[in-house]
Amino acid sequence: MTLSKQRSFVTPGPGETVEQIAARALPGRPTQKAVDDIKSWNLHIFAMRRPPGLLTGSDVVFVEPPLG
Amino acid sequence: MYDVIITNGTIVDGTGARGFKGDVAIKNGRIAAVGKVDGTAKRTIDAAGRIVAPGFIDPHTHFDVQILWDGAARPALEHGVTTIVPGNCSLSLAPLKASDRKAVVGMFQQIEEMPPEAFTQAFTWTWEDFAGYRKAIEPGLSLNVAPLVGHSLIRLWVMGEASQQRAATPDEIAQMQDLLRESLKAGGVGLSTSYIDVDENGRPVPSRFAQFDELDALCEVLGEFGRILQVVPEFYDADLTIARIDQLAELSLKHNIPTTFSPVFDSPATPKNSPRIVARVEEQFARGARVWPQMQTRPVDISFSFLRPSLYFARLPTWWRTLRQPLEQRNASLRDKEVVAKMLAEADTNMMTQGMGILVIRGGDNAPAGYVGRTLAEVAKERGETNSQALINVSLENDLDVAFLAENVGHADTSRIGPMLAKPSVHIGASDGGAHITSFSTYGDTGFLFSEFVRKSGDLTLEQAVKKITSDTAEIWGLADRGRLAPEMAADVVVFDAATIGRGAERAVFDMPGDGMRYVRSATGIDTVLVNGEVAYAAGDYTAAKAGVVCV
Amino acid sequence: MKPDADTTIESAAIGAGHDGAAELVVNLRYPNGTVGPVVLDADIGFALLRTCGADSLNELKGHSWRAILESLHDV
Repeated sequence: MTLSKQRSFVTPGPGETVEQIAARALPGRPTQKAVDDIKSWNLHIFAMRRPPGLLTGSDVVFVEPPLG
Repeated sequence: MYDVIITNGTIVDGTGARGFKGDVAIKNGRIAAVGKVDGTAKRTIDAAGRIVAPGFIDPHTHFDVQILWDGAARPALEHGVTTIVPGNCSLSLAPLKASDRKAVVGMFQQIEEMPPEAFTQAFTWTWEDFAGYRKAIEPGLSLNVAPLVGHSLIRLWVMGEASQQRAATPDEIAQMQDLLRESLKAGGVGLSTSYIDVDENGRPVPSRFAQFDELDALCEVLGEFGRILQVVPEFYDADLTIARIDQLAELSLKHNIPTTFSPVFDSPATPKNSPRIVARVEEQFARGARVWPQMQTRPVDISFSFLRPSLYFARLPTWWRTLRQPLEQRNASLRDKEVVAKMLAEADTNMMTQGMGILVIRGGDNAPAGYVGRTLAEVAKERGETNSQALINVSLENDLDVAFLAENVGHADTSRIGPMLAKPSVHIGASDGGAHITSFSTYGDTGFLFSEFVRKSGDLTLEQAVKKITSDTAEIWGLADRGRLAPEMAADVVVFDAATIGRGAERAVFDMPGDGMRYVRSATGIDTVLVNGEVAYAAGDYTAAKAGVVCV
Repeated sequence: MKPDADTTIESAAIGAGHDGAAELVVNLRYPNGTVGPVVLDADIGFALLRTCGADSLNELKGHSWRAILESLHDV
């Protein structure tokens, strides 16, 4: 049974920042653009959480927009 | 001689097989015979015209605290629930060091909304480890308990304050494995974790700070016992939930364990979510993974008062801007004729005035007794006001401390939910019994299953519905001797009227420690409930029987 | 996908939260054309309306996703 394609994600390593995640997940993309993309795809972390942007080890961090 | 014979009923044995006329005999807490029973008994229960079924199993509750003083988890038992699973969402009451109690009480108050007295007056803290908690609850149980071990508690025990700050070291993970192993040996049915819960300060609970490796290590221990992992995913978003499903599937396959996540909601705001989630689960089942989605039966309501601004008013800018003002200013604005005129006109323009009429005035606060349980339309008519005028004035007359309920706002489309509940891949659960007690009632979901999805929509037959909340649940959770009416099985039995089983109206009661308020629903159509062969509820009353056990 | 296109609010609706509170379900349209939701509580939801100067949910349409981050300063 082949699984259908779903949205790709990574989980943060210990102490990893959004900049570090952006760099490893979106290599070659300008830093600020990569960070903005990660944020816009992960508002469950960057808007809904208290404090906003607090990364925890169990987080799902999407590295692409919704697939539609 | 048998202890009990239930005669003349229609036996729906929990397997999904067609009901049949017969008797059920009970001896020493076990089913002794099913069918045509000869012999005598100390007690005979006439079930003519009634269904005789296995006791219902509720796999998602937060009765951890309540069962310390109320072994029936009222009103769960009267709804036919004979086994509950507390300790969900990463939060149990053990293992818990005395020095960490305050932190965990905060987390429980956040999720259960229990008054402080529940933790200071209603029981004595006598335990730290899981075996001690079991010892504390077991003597008083009127129903059975299959308790989960909370990941947040395991983490807090090993890491202290750092459990809400950082990843665990390999040594700490090994300690957590040992603690989980010890807790499972003491009666834990599995491990629960959460990706969504927060403490009383809004900070993520300890389990959320765990790397996947930590959860993997704990699931290795679950694999030693063949026990279950329960998870609360980010259920508001299908992509996130699917990511969790995939993680659970990997853990299930790697460690050969069952996993379950809850809840799955069907929201009109995101109609593609629940079908996508169920489809992904079915893909993973086809691979051999066991990832059970728990879907609740009851609809979701919205509740609000003027004490806190609610998004219910998001379409009415004058309303929400007024309600966002500081309390003193808010009160003044609501008494300002000019502001009120603008609010009323705005409600009319947006066609909300009429819609407000279906709001139900709730009890449990300052609401006048004569208004409680009635619709705003009824009250407004009686007062000679429009609905929106009455909403404002009833609030003002009672220091804004009157709650209003918009019923069935989400998870309410029976034509969508019924077929999903009927799927073999969907686990009926997620009642949240004992949680959110001051916000809404979390009791009676089993009755609603029969009234809404068996009698009204016909999405499930009576036999299918019974199977869903008895033998299916027992099998998923590894409760080997529960969930079926068959010789040698535990004698958990519910006798009910198929034509009337349901849930009563939501009402406020003040039966929590310190006269704390909660919302409950009574059962309808339930005649008798037996737990391990003893009658625990009959003819509308709880008995003194304490035959419940930790049943793992 | 347009290289400089921004993610914008496509629509917003009120939903019923798990805890009995109303919540704001904001659908974002991404530069690749897909739409995905973010769910905001009352504090952030009202702050977003203020940040966007919106009187109604319909008026949120077209605003950048960054307005959601900006609204956090108003919570």
